[in-house]
Amino acid sequence: MALSSKRALPAKETALFKSLLQLYETRQYKKALKVADQILKKAPKHGETTSMKGLVLTNLNRKEEGIQLVKAGITLDIDSHICWHVFGIVHKADRNYEEALKCYLQALKFDKDNINILRDSAQLQVQLRQYEPLQETRLALLKLRPNVRLGWVGLTVAYHLNNKLSEARTVLQQYLKTVKGVPDYDFEFSELLTYYVTLTEETGDYADALQLLESYAKDRSIVDKSAILTIKARLLQKLGRSNEAAEAYDCLLVQSPESFEYYQGYFLAKGIDLENISDETRPKALELFQALSEALPKATSPRRLALDIASGDIFRSMAGAYLQTGLVRGVPSLFSDVKALYRDTNKQDVIGELVLHFSSRLAEYDPTTYVWSLYFLAQHHSHVSPTKPETALHFINTALEHTPTLPELYMIKARILKRCGDPIGASQTMEDARMLDFQDRFLNTKSAKYLLRDGLIEQANSVLGLFTKKDAPSPGADLEEMQSLLYLLEEGRAYRSVGKLSLALKRYRAVEKTFSDFEDDQYDFHSYCLRRHTLNAYHGLLRFEDTLRSHPAYVESALAAAEIYIRIYDGGAKVIGAATSQANEDKEAAPAAPVDDDPDGLKLLNAKKPLEEATKLVRPLEELLPLDIRVWTTSFDLALRRGKYLQAIRALRAIQNVRADDPELHYRVVLLKTSPASTSLSDRSRVVLAKALDGLTPPDVPLEELNTLFLQKNPGSAAAAFSYCRSLWVIKGQAVISDVEESLLQLARPEIQLSIEVALGALEFLQNVANSARSEEFRQAMVKRFPLSTVFKTESEKASIRTDLQAKPPPPEEPGHE
Amino acid sequence: MNIRLATAGDLLGMQACNLQNLPENYTLRYYLYHAMTWPSLSYVAEDSKGRVVGYILAKMEEDAAEKNEPPHGHVTSISVLRSYRRLGLAKKLMLLSQEAMATIYKAEYVSLHVRKSNRAAIGLYRDTLGFEVHGVEAKYYADGEDALAMRLSLKET
Repeated sequence: MALSSKRALPAKETALFKSLLQLYETRQYKKALKVADQILKKAPKHGETTSMKGLVLTNLNRKEEGIQLVKAGITLDIDSHICWHVFGIVHKADRNYEEALKCYLQALKFDKDNINILRDSAQLQVQLRQYEPLQETRLALLKLRPNVRLGWVGLTVAYHLNNKLSEARTVLQQYLKTVKGVPDYDFEFSELLTYYVTLTEETGDYADALQLLESYAKDRSIVDKSAILTIKARLLQKLGRSNEAAEAYDCLLVQSPESFEYYQGYFLAKGIDLENISDETRPKALELFQALSEALPKATSPRRLALDIASGDIFRSMAGAYLQTGLVRGVPSLFSDVKALYRDTNKQDVIGELVLHFSSRLAEYDPTTYVWSLYFLAQHHSHVSPTKPETALHFINTALEHTPTLPELYMIKARILKRCGDPIGASQTMEDARMLDFQDRFLNTKSAKYLLRDGLIEQANSVLGLFTKKDAPSPGADLEEMQSLLYLLEEGRAYRSVGKLSLALKRYRAVEKTFSDFEDDQYDFHSYCLRRHTLNAYHGLLRFEDTLRSHPAYVESALAAAEIYIRIYDGGAKVIGAATSQANEDKEAAPAAPVDDDPDGLKLLNAKKPLEEATKLVRPLEELLPLDIRVWTTSFDLALRRGKYLQAIRALRAIQNVRADDPELHYRVVLLKTSPASTSLSDRSRVVLAKALDGLTPPDVPLEELNTLFLQKNPGSAAAAFSYCRSLWVIKGQAVISDVEESLLQLARPEIQLSIEVALGALEFLQNVANSARSEEFRQAMVKRFPLSTVFKTESEKASIRTDLQAKPPPPEEPGHE
Repeated sequence: MNIRLATAGDLLGMQACNLQNLPENYTLRYYLYHAMTWPSLSYVAEDSKGRVVGYILAKMEEDAAEKNEPPHGHVTSISVLRSYRRLGLAKKLMLLSQEAMATIYKAEYVSLHVRKSNRAAIGLYRDTLGFEVHGVEAKYYADGEDALAMRLSLKET
């Protein structure tokens, strides 16, 4: 190696370099920096020292300078594994796992047996889900150090992740043969054996798995009895030994009598699929539930699960008993518990009748149960007819007159008001609930959420501040640090609704950042779980992380952020950006310690490539949630603007597969066909496009006719009519304004199923897109159509409603009757 | 309500439930640390849509041997959403966790901390779950409030 002369240092400096490495390892960065400078004085072109100095600087808050040196080090000594390793470490610290791995692999070229670098690479390979290379790395590690137990476990897991189950099993088997002298009750070893059993189960060798399990159970090397029994029950069932499986599930139910999984297992072992009950299996199933209720008197599940499968008179009598118990006990969740039964409208009606019947009898002799039954009936009616809240309000108001001190009643009233389009009354009522019990954070959170829904952002934050850390810069800062997705989403939504797009975007980006943190959180566990042997839990972690972004909070934030980016691209946000930037200049005061260089989100609003930013947010959802129409409409909106027509068509096809007559699909087909850019395509591209559109729309029907056909096919649907109007506007523009206005005004007719959401969309469209002279007429029609709503009122009307409500006396102050 | 062992997929639901209910909050990492170290000790209650409505986040005291204490469990956090009370969920969650502590780790007792001022929680731990006050830890919380250290013996179970 000709270059090695360049790397060699005099004896004294060689010793210093060693101490430099040690000082870095022990995080004594300041000392390390001195030593590095000392070496560089003598050997200013020494690449490895230069790199190390750079690395040390990145840990001393001199990142830019540090990175420069790290890069310079590589230039000076491009074959040094240390220089590449250092570069890898810097990337890793930046969570740039892909680049980090590249550097590590480069380092390995010059020092292929370096254990530390191999281990770090393995960790990066799992993080990046590169299972094939991971397996190679783990194999290399094991060959280098066959005596390290982690090496065996690591290779097993790598094979397992790479779906080479029999190899995984063999490696672990070999390793287990060598293990000796495990102390009694060693939880970690017990976990490893449990993993071995489930791995064997996964290979399909149920008999082997069961045999292993039984021998480990017998000699007590697996110590988790409930895990033993759970796996055993499952294996017995898979082996067709149903009677024994049923016995095992029976034991599990005694220990864990509210576990639905065990009930399902028990019934399957008895030959009954609870998800798929027939008239033949029903009597037997009910009989079994009856027996279980008697054997497990404290459990609620057998009585509740029986309601899922019961029918007719049996259902009526069982539901009666179940509801009565819940009402007498004053269980607040009773309605949400039985709501799932409402999929069957017969059951819905029976439950409504039963509770009504109770309430009429109870009024005189059991006032508490009476109130809980009114509380139930209010929820029942709000659920059955959400936009006709009169009955629900009647019940809840009766309950409130009777017992004005129970927060639960106010909470339900608030929800009813929210549903019928009155966020003002809803937030005020939720505040009433909170006033009854200041100590309860649940009421506090609910109230803040309702205030945010009402656009009262400042007030919401001062409410939230009653429970957040006093030393935090603001309530919001604490909630963001504690990863409150609820807070970030609700405040983002609130800012969006009051038109502060920059701050809305900032909250949504914070959700995204939180999810990136969640993704990074797994990193250390790649090695931790190997050491702890908690491998079944670890596999659960990987599965969770793989589908992390299908979480509703991520979906909502990504789609909302994308919508804002689209508005930025379309030019609508420029005005808003200018307005807030002035507000920003007013606040000249020096910011607090952790500097937020974009407190108002203006930099976000001035994003150079808004569509690309949005696409990055939405892309993961296409794979994770292929049946979610909202994902595809957003993908389409982005693709169309980016001129990616094939992607746009792919999105439309995806919607078509879910719901061919979806109103948003129809509107977007029209958008695509009229898109000005698409008409300027080359002839060849246009042929490709026409082909891709095949099957999405009939080829020869003119657009206008297509639009009319769509409307005729969906009579009575407000969403379809709205889609028709928007499409007509896109096709013909101003020429059809009176048709559009007339059609939208027709939505007010009582026989049309109109939701508040569609009505608000239509109003927005008339006001801001069509600039219609009849928007005000439409607004007034909606005020009449939704008499209890406030969302259609003018700002001054809203203000006076708010003042009137606040003038009302608060509920009595005595603590809620429990 | 379905009550079962918590897995990694439940942790965000537990975190959300905790943030809505209690003043002591943790980042996801801390939940992960529990679930990846003592995977048999934490449980959740979920509604019919699979939303977490109650949970117990528990661990074993790691330094028990160094402190010359017998092995014992510790409840880091337990709570049930207000709208899911009166179903005995807290008690059921607690029983499952303490059974696991006793059988798997030979725990002799389980401990927990509670704010001295949190009367509702103290009532739950003492009256419903059978904990006893073992001592006071001065200024245990970041804001300077004292904690009651409570214990429940697992010997007879």
